Amino acid sequence: MTPPVEKRTVDMQIIADWVEPHTRVLDLGCGRGELLDFLIQSKQVSALGVDLDFDQISACVRRGVPAYQGDMIACMAAFPARHFDRVICSRTVQELTAPAVVIAEALRVARSVTVGFVNHAFWKNRLDLLTRGRKAQNAVYTTTWAESRPANPVSVADFEDFCATHSIRITRRVHLDGDWKSPCPMLPNLLAGYALYDLTK
Amino acid sequence: MTDEPTAHSSTPLSSTPGHLAPDDVGLVTPLDFVLPRPFTFKHGQPLDGLTLRYETYGTLNATRDNAVLICHALSGNHHAAGWHSPTDKKPGWWNNLIGPGKAVDTRRFFVICANVPGGCSGSTGPSSTNPATGEPYGLRFPALTILDMVRAQKLLLDHLGVAELHTVIGGSMGGMTALLFAIEFPNFTRRLLAMATTAREGAQAIAFNEVGRQAIMQDPGWNNGDYPPNGGPRVGLAIARMMAHITYLSDASMDRKFGRRTIQSRAQSPQLSAELAPGDASPSAAAADFNLQFEVESYLRHQGQTFINRFDANSYLYITRALDQFDLDHAYGSLEQAFAPVLAESLIVGFTSDWLFPPEQNRQIAQALLRAGKRTSYAELSTDLGHDSFLLESEELYALIRGFLERTPPATTTDFAI
Repeated sequence: MTPPVEKRTVDMQIIADWVEPHTRVLDLGCGRGELLDFLIQSKQVSALGVDLDFDQISACVRRGVPAYQGDMIACMAAFPARHFDRVICSRTVQELTAPAVVIAEALRVARSVTVGFVNHAFWKNRLDLLTRGRKAQNAVYTTTWAESRPANPVSVADFEDFCATHSIRITRRVHLDGDWKSPCPMLPNLLAGYALYDLTK
Repeated sequence: MTDEPTAHSSTPLSSTPGHLAPDDVGLVTPLDFVLPRPFTFKHGQPLDGLTLRYETYGTLNATRDNAVLICHALSGNHHAAGWHSPTDKKPGWWNNLIGPGKAVDTRRFFVICANVPGGCSGSTGPSSTNPATGEPYGLRFPALTILDMVRAQKLLLDHLGVAELHTVIGGSMGGMTALLFAIEFPNFTRRLLAMATTAREGAQAIAFNEVGRQAIMQDPGWNNGDYPPNGGPRVGLAIARMMAHITYLSDASMDRKFGRRTIQSRAQSPQLSAELAPGDASPSAAAADFNLQFEVESYLRHQGQTFINRFDANSYLYITRALDQFDLDHAYGSLEQAFAPVLAESLIVGFTSDWLFPPEQNRQIAQALLRAGKRTSYAELSTDLGHDSFLLESEELYALIRGFLERTPPATTTDFAI
């Protein structure tokens, strides 16, 4: 199985395809700034990352990616509506305690919001739980329950329902197979390993 | 700020003198720059022969664009790094940051630090002799603002042949100076690093400054600012320093350093002049004891005592007043408008336990810069050392600062205008 680190680049390519050149991009949970660095190089965006961790911010600063250390909701609250062209939330939603609030705030400060997440309802996870009766553990979910952070796993169906009930328009969607590379043409809630959405209000 | 390292100073294993350490700038000599023309202060008063005392470390490169300006805090001075003599007990106040191979690498950068006008470490200030009278200026010294500190230091940089500042760095008051440098000289300032600072001196900070000033001005020795050199309101100035010093620390750091430990014997306590220990007498058995009891008391008295031997009371009044008047929102209409001309890439750093200029005030600077469309980062270091955390010996902080200074700017210039 491909290690998660390389999988990250797949998500980066698709996001980069969606990002218009010379736009303002905010990355929620920017980590060490790899994605924004890539977008600065490839799309000449004016970038800002947000993360909670000092060392991640320090890594961003070192590679020249502007980054803000702090809570993402508080950070977005400091900006007027539509200050950014796009907010990116890549592999972050499953870590949020209040995803609805974050997405609503993202849709206020930007015209479009890109959300990428690991589909928790992927068949292998279901099978794992059904046959082993245990928390999924694989290349994506690497930890045992005792080592895990509180997570808020999300499935393709959860996310589509959420958008429908909150009147959020899905302008683009990409579902990828378990290899996170090939397109997943059918039954995405069961067969997609990774999902990407472009949202607008 | 305090005049000693905030963290456990690393004790060298060998007996190599500090100035000979491979990553030390070594022995340094302060220099004086006398402004060739009268300097007009913001409030309109001119001054002839304004002198700035400064130090430099490293070498200005051929393109004259590797200069890093270090801006000192309220009680700091031009002696940021190195040693004045091999017998010095302490190096410059930011020696842990500046030196060959250190976070501000003097093999790479030409580092400059000047004592601010109005100061008392060699630059012209209220304690300097007024050539017109032959007496110290005292309160005849022009009203001082942070802008005056910025403009005077810019003249120094011009004199030194600096074409543009690679980075302006400062903490606390030095952070205000650095912010204003990037605002007033946008084409000259490429990077801005401001730490533990504020864009607007708040009521609490003004309040502490006022208590300090009252301690000085209520001391009969102050005499409306007219006092002989080495005289003046020594008790008032010491009390001002003792009080201010508390605002640079934190509950946790003081408790760790002193706890409730008491002075075991008089011999252990620092030698204090009688003026700072008025109640210290042998108490009778039944009487209340207001002599030194706790280590923290002894420490503060020592801080006060040290301070009066190196700082001028009138300078303290002038500089704290300059701090009080610092309000970028008001001066430029709004913080976003203040930052509108900035072309520098910025890094703002807050410290969790700083209650003098708390993280929130540093965050506001970063947010306003971002709203104004500027390339800005904000980092917040978890420490329990209070305001003086910016002087901390911390590998994390060094790595952040080094990363900000040494990164090669991107080849393409992106338009960050709104």
